[in-house]
Amino acid sequence: MSKNQSWILKHPWSVRSFHYLLVLSFIPLAITGVVLFFKPFDQLTMNLYMRIHVVTGVILTLDAVAYFIIGFTRVIAFVKRSFSFSVNDIKWFSILGGYPQKFLLGKKVPVPPMGKYNSGQKLFGICVLIGGTILIATGWGLWGFPHILPHGMTALFGTLHLVFGWILILFLLVHVFLGIYMFDDFKAMFLHGKIPYEEAKEMAPLWVETEIVKIER
Amino acid sequence: MNAEARTYQKGEIPGIIGIDADVCKGCDSCKRYCPTGAITGMFGAIHSIDVEKCINCGQCLINCPFGSIYETVDTVDTVIAKLQDKSVTVVGIPAPAVRVAIGEEFGMADGSLVTKEMYGAMRKVGFEILDNNFTADLTIMEEGTEFIVRARHALFGEEAHGHKVGPLPQFTSCCPAWVRYVETKYPSLIPNLSSAKSPQQMAGPLAKTYGALEIWKKPPESIYTVGIMPCTAKKFEASRPEFASAYHFLKKEGKAGSDTPYPDIDTVLTTRDLARLFKKMKIDFTKAGETDGGPLAEYTGAGTIFGNTGGVMEAALRTAYKVLTGNELQPLEFKPVRGMKGVKSASVTLMDTKYGKEVTVNVAVVNGIHGNIEPILEKIMAGTSSYHFIEVMNCPGGCVNGGGQPIKSGGSSWLRAALPLFGWK
Repeated sequence: MSKNQSWILKHPWSVRSFHYLLVLSFIPLAITGVVLFFKPFDQLTMNLYMRIHVVTGVILTLDAVAYFIIGFTRVIAFVKRSFSFSVNDIKWFSILGGYPQKFLLGKKVPVPPMGKYNSGQKLFGICVLIGGTILIATGWGLWGFPHILPHGMTALFGTLHLVFGWILILFLLVHVFLGIYMFDDFKAMFLHGKIPYEEAKEMAPLWVETEIVKIER
Repeated sequence: MNAEARTYQKGEIPGIIGIDADVCKGCDSCKRYCPTGAITGMFGAIHSIDVEKCINCGQCLINCPFGSIYETVDTVDTVIAKLQDKSVTVVGIPAPAVRVAIGEEFGMADGSLVTKEMYGAMRKVGFEILDNNFTADLTIMEEGTEFIVRARHALFGEEAHGHKVGPLPQFTSCCPAWVRYVETKYPSLIPNLSSAKSPQQMAGPLAKTYGALEIWKKPPESIYTVGIMPCTAKKFEASRPEFASAYHFLKKEGKAGSDTPYPDIDTVLTTRDLARLFKKMKIDFTKAGETDGGPLAEYTGAGTIFGNTGGVMEAALRTAYKVLTGNELQPLEFKPVRGMKGVKSASVTLMDTKYGKEVTVNVAVVNGIHGNIEPILEKIMAGTSSYHFIEVMNCPGGCVNGGGQPIKSGGSSWLRAALPLFGWK
């Protein structure tokens, strides 16, 4: 980090540690989930994958519950931001944030001003909030009580787990790609939590204008 | 057919129940319900059924939340063809528990008693009727009388004429899953099983002898008997080669009409199968109309309660009481053997008028083999059991919760003791 540059703390410690555990649990969950869906291996291997799926599912649950308790205000802020919509979101989606133009045509198009999260991130946030909650709840039901819950409910749990699992896996691929592409944000999430002021001003001008205050040191 | 099967006689159907590998999620629900550990497959991996251990009860089938378990034997189309063949008299033999469940397949309230509607629909598609309740009454007369013979032999040394008297405790023998359980896991206790046939297997010979010759006036070989059962294991039971009594009797009488032995029960439909048959034959069950069952559909309350846990024992005690004392049991209901407890027991003191002595009979009712039966069997084998007569039903709740009944989206887990949570191995 350059000392001459201004930095904004985007991801505090609580968010970063939640995210570390999320990465450590969700990626193995996704891989083992896909394997469990296609059932390609022998008994012992499938059982090993299921055990990894269960253990990482428990880790993800504990991570989510702990973050919900410890970072409650952050969770509320995240929910609020994810569910705040304006006409800019429609404009953003109409050009998909300018990413296709950038990647496919090498062209930079004007992008409507965004808050801390752009419209795509907000959609992802909504999917994570709803889908993650459903995956956790249905996962526990399917693991612990498939034989005790009413059959119709277990079958519904199975379908929801499958549908939201695939949705989040597909979103994860986009999230990982764009996360690495926006390397300053990637470093912020995995290392120090801070992004350059100039980049924040470009990527999230509404956030910088309305929420960021200068701290003199 | 599994040629390697070792616990089946020639002619028996090995493996009534199968698991669809494409649908199985490896969730382990079925393993928790299987009373014999016949389901193999680790948690998360595709499961399969070891036919040698399977007793065909179908509890896994009705409790699989994903519908991956199915019956391998489906004779609905065969029965339809027989019904349409004018040279064949198709006799439907509906079990006590069928009439309180089949309505559910047609949108009626759970537990609706639809005996006359069931007869009406059966008649409409061409069945003659021999109500299995009628032979449930016969079974209980046989089992009750046999128990008295065994008890008198044990207590007073009374000998039976022409046959060896079996030991106490006497087990009921009408549940085919339970019979196979004893045969495969505790063969030394086979003599403890009542020698009485199940109601289904009493109905078959009755239909092909008395029914054919006296009621329907048809050649016995043209009678096609269809057990209509709440039970998948009944399909296996009907395939047992020893059950060709009608043929052997009629052969001796010179009335068999064939040199090829025919089975007492030609095929078995489950409650689900019968509903499917009606639907295939475009019968609106709710509008089929009510009819009587005819001369072979007379029965008592004893036959009716057969389909419920404790029902056989209650009916047997009524019979034993009547035979021993000459009086009807008062009150007729014997409540200690009712209810959903895994093992119910009671003591009844009866006056044996023949010997002029009071006899105390210790009875037990096993409501579901899984988790309940082994401690009882171990005690019997160790010679420390105090029971004289034991009713055993494989399925929790009795035949009403059999593997051939309509599959409830609510499941039936509440019918039994707590099962293990959280799969792992």
